[in-house]
Amino acid sequence: MTMATFHLQIVTPDRMAFDGEAEKIIVRTVNGDVCILAHHIDYAAPLGIGEAKVTDAEGKTRSAACNGGLISVQDNEVRVMAITFEWEDDIDLERAHRAEAEAQEKLQAMSKEDQNFAIAEAKLKRALTRIHVKG
Amino acid sequence: MAGASMKGIKLRIKSVESTMQITKAMQLVATSKLRRAKERMELSKPYAAISREAMMAAVGNCDDQNVPFAAQRDVKSRCYVVIAGERGLAGGYNANIFKAVAAHAQDTPYCVLPLGRKAIDKFSHLGVRLLRDDFPRVEGLAVGTCYRLARDLIDGYLKEEFDELYLVYTSFQSMMSQEVQLEKLLPIEKPAGEPHRAVTTVYEPEAAETLEKVVPDFLAGRLYSAACDSFVSEVSARRNAMDSATKNAGEMISDLRLKYNRARQGAITQEITEIVAGAEN
Repeated sequence: MTMATFHLQIVTPDRMAFDGEAEKIIVRTVNGDVCILAHHIDYAAPLGIGEAKVTDAEGKTRSAACNGGLISVQDNEVRVMAITFEWEDDIDLERAHRAEAEAQEKLQAMSKEDQNFAIAEAKLKRALTRIHVKG
Repeated sequence: MAGASMKGIKLRIKSVESTMQITKAMQLVATSKLRRAKERMELSKPYAAISREAMMAAVGNCDDQNVPFAAQRDVKSRCYVVIAGERGLAGGYNANIFKAVAAHAQDTPYCVLPLGRKAIDKFSHLGVRLLRDDFPRVEGLAVGTCYRLARDLIDGYLKEEFDELYLVYTSFQSMMSQEVQLEKLLPIEKPAGEPHRAVTTVYEPEAAETLEKVVPDFLAGRLYSAACDSFVSEVSARRNAMDSATKNAGEMISDLRLKYNRARQGAITQEITEIVAGAEN
């Protein structure tokens, strides 16, 4: 039996990462992971930094590193407006490792009260997400 | 007499020809840049449209009192994000943008976040305070850069460095027409005339808090798409300007050639007349 599908669009400022029918999407919001299936009630939440999993109409699941933005569900139309959204195949692992090392170094050098602490921490989180998704 | 004017015309033809070579080269460069710029613009459109819709929906779902970034303050000063070109020779492209800013600003003090060398030069020349001046190139402006700019702008707004934020850019309508747009970014205004939607959407956290989190992101997206749009406009304006310059140069050259040939013919006729007159005597 095939599952009900919904129209999913995933956009970032510089491109459309996905536009088509999907069975399921899991994304990390600021309050934790949510899973959206077809006929979800109208919903919106800001996105955090984490892995996103999209199951398309053929039942194939793909992972991506997703960072920031908003997910919105309106009348069975699901839209993910992310700051960055990279499918696992597109992730540059070497770059992620470099970013991780850089962020670690920075974090060690600064105190928690530093106003740039949160920025460096977010950078580390993004790098770790990319490494996790790719690995 | 004829000899001197012939030499003068010849020199002018040469100089117009070399100008034409330059305008033609610039036209070709603009044409080749246009395709990529257009692609980038097309790719930036879905996000701009979708995020705008989502933001308006969220604003509609907020209680009137607590929409973030919507507090109307007395306007003591404004901030303009002005997107202009890196270079001139693009017809009225840069001048139109500056005219729009001047017409809107009137006497209210303002500061500017200039993108593009021409905007930086213009406003520093006018003595306007620049938020920063390190973005001379609009071409290939990175998304990440737009996020940093958006964060700074939101900060400035919250610290009451300015009370309103505007975006001034050029929107590409067609190869022949590009229009300057002036858009209010902050404070956020409820769309007028739109009926209040039934509040059925579940926001997690509440709509107001959600908005507060995503408005900086959407602002960044807006800056990015406006920059893409502006760059296409700039390149097509330059292409048009250089196209007509090249055509004008061509016309001038054929005009001058005609004059040159007339002068040459005149000189020959005179010589013959002189020889014939000499033989008859």
